[in-house]
Amino acid sequence: MATTTATEVAAQPPVSPAPPAVSGKRRRSRLRRRNTLLGWSFILPNFLGFALLTLVPIIVLFYMSLTNWNVFGTANWVGFANFERLIGDGSFRISVLNTLYYSALHIPLTFVVALGLALLLNNKLRGVAFFRTAAFFPYITSIVAIAIVWNLLFSPDYGPINEILRFFGMENPPGWLTSSDWAMPAVVIVSTWRDMGYYMILFLAGLQTVPRELHEAARVDGASTIQRFFNVTLPSLRPTTFFVTVMLTINSFKIFDLILVMTEGGPGQSTLVISQFIYTKGFEESQFGYASAASVALFFMCIIVTVAQFLLNKKRSV
Amino acid sequence: MKRKFVVAASMAMVATLALSACGGSSDDAAEEGGPVTLSMSGWSLATTPEFQVLADGYMAQNPDVKVELKEYDPVNYNTLLTADLAAGSGPDIIVQKEVKFVSTFQEGGQLVDVTDVELPDDIGGTEAYDIDGASYAVPYRQDSWVVFYNKALYDQAGVEYPDGSWTWDDFAETEEALAAGLEGTAAFGGYQHGWQSTVQGFANAQVPDADILSGDFGHLKEYYERVLKLQDDKAQVDFNTRNANQLTYQGEFGKQKAAMLTMGSWFVATLIAQQAAGEADDFDWGIAPAPQYDESTAGIDNVPVTFGDPTGLGINAAVTGAKLDAAKDFLAYAASEDAALSLAEIGITPALLNDTVVETYFELEGTPDDELTEFAVSTHKTLPENPTSSKTAAIQNILLDLHTAVMSGSEPIGSAIDAAEERFENEIGD
Repeated sequence: MATTTATEVAAQPPVSPAPPAVSGKRRRSRLRRRNTLLGWSFILPNFLGFALLTLVPIIVLFYMSLTNWNVFGTANWVGFANFERLIGDGSFRISVLNTLYYSALHIPLTFVVALGLALLLNNKLRGVAFFRTAAFFPYITSIVAIAIVWNLLFSPDYGPINEILRFFGMENPPGWLTSSDWAMPAVVIVSTWRDMGYYMILFLAGLQTVPRELHEAARVDGASTIQRFFNVTLPSLRPTTFFVTVMLTINSFKIFDLILVMTEGGPGQSTLVISQFIYTKGFEESQFGYASAASVALFFMCIIVTVAQFLLNKKRSV
Repeated sequence: MKRKFVVAASMAMVATLALSACGGSSDDAAEEGGPVTLSMSGWSLATTPEFQVLADGYMAQNPDVKVELKEYDPVNYNTLLTADLAAGSGPDIIVQKEVKFVSTFQEGGQLVDVTDVELPDDIGGTEAYDIDGASYAVPYRQDSWVVFYNKALYDQAGVEYPDGSWTWDDFAETEEALAAGLEGTAAFGGYQHGWQSTVQGFANAQVPDADILSGDFGHLKEYYERVLKLQDDKAQVDFNTRNANQLTYQGEFGKQKAAMLTMGSWFVATLIAQQAAGEADDFDWGIAPAPQYDESTAGIDNVPVTFGDPTGLGINAAVTGAKLDAAKDFLAYAASEDAALSLAEIGITPALLNDTVVETYFELEGTPDDELTEFAVSTHKTLPENPTSSKTAAIQNILLDLHTAVMSGSEPIGSAIDAAEERFENEIGD
């Protein structure tokens, strides 16, 4: 870490040429305008894509949620009728509860596993690069391949997992994906296995910013490893922790692809989540207006929780 | 200077990208009195020859019309078709793969009224395309569900071949007898595929006064109880294992892992092709009529009741003028005896099943030549698997959840039916 002294700073040439004092204001605004134009021209391609493919559809989504569009016909305005129907819809209620259940299991489990892995792999041992790659591998594997393999692993009568459980004396191992009680925990296990690599990388990056002097000072003061973890590592990791928690929450609320390929919402409706409810209503039953209303509901759920997390974090860091 | 060049280049690139994104599709205007080109949707063109057969047959009779096929993914066919139709780039002739989407297309104004297309008198499957007194598609193919049985495994188990007089209790008894006779081998008594139609299709068609549109699902109870018993007795692979191992009905029956199979008549063409190619084992098999609800419709002196949906052709509402006349003419051809004969030659069961067509069907190399098979293929009262209504898709989703809950053993049939009826009230009922 190089420290710049005051003299060094003064000796550095200014970044932009200083405008003459005479026509200073006009020159400054022309320069600012030119800089703004330059900036826009660089972000415009990406922004155009974002606007066309993401922003405009989202605005249209809000409009569609107030109509009863069925893909082909005209979108007739129905006001808040879709939202009233959502409140009374039993399946939507089940999907919200399932989503919350999934999030309640998935978020803490993934957080702890990812952090644990990051702490373990933060050392400069031989072969640590291999283990880091191995932990990240599930995240980039095809979701269909994951679903097929884990389906076989979870097979209640012939799968290895239950074989192992039976070997350890459990007489009635859970039915996993075939049981409405155990299907969601099974999905959470696979989802954690898939996501841990990604969040481990984020935590590894965050761990690099923990100042070593603090650790040494704590060790000198006689703190044990656990005390050091809770009093030095965790507080220093707060920005990373905050980011990981926010991303985990949003992604858990939006979970879709894994559940669709593993259980399709079954057995029965035990793993039906909001995203799948939206997909079914929109693409299988062609009720796009109603599906849009459910999407808007999911959007507000995510926003409210994220804002709450931001406020909490602000309070904590003061 | 360099900076100006960079700015200019990026502006130019942005402009190009923006303009290319707005590129429109070119419309082929139909020329009056010239050669007409019709586009027709199809799926899995390499393994599903029926579309090309229809196109070729029509073009042979009408040299001034060209029919081009447009391939779609078979699993997401209706979703992809919906996207194309909504974008205005749908095909002229729309193959109706699933009856439950016909009302969606019709309500969205995507199909032309084809009531004026002349159909042969004894063609089947037309009711599925009648909406509010007008017809919106023409059936060219009608599948029905039958029983496929493996004669070699029957001999091995020492069980008599079906005689066409089965009720469902007879069927269950036979499957248990087969399982007992085949004990110790890798083969099961029967195989039931994972679809909800394997249980519900029969229940909806055969139980008197059963109507899923009314929200009353009690008629399913008996059928599910029977299947669950067969599963518990290990006479057939259970639903959970079937799903975990992703078993296919072609594989299970073709590789002799099951002595019996209830399946749609479309399997005939596939089985023959697979046996010829060596993908399936070489064994003698036959077809028996579907097991019946009770004695009144059982036996070869009666007409057995089974279920099955037709496959038909509709016309895109955007087609007009000379193209529309050609399209309607093509629909009339597809329903005619000429087309039926050419379809029968490749093992498809056409919607028009008169004696000549049945004869041609059985001339195909590989079809079983016993009398019961001929009876099963030609004589049946086929009721729709999906009643034509805008509520059908939603109801089928509720029943699918019921199916997975009951078959996986997560919920007993009684409470599952109650839950499904409640959901009907809550989500659909009015």
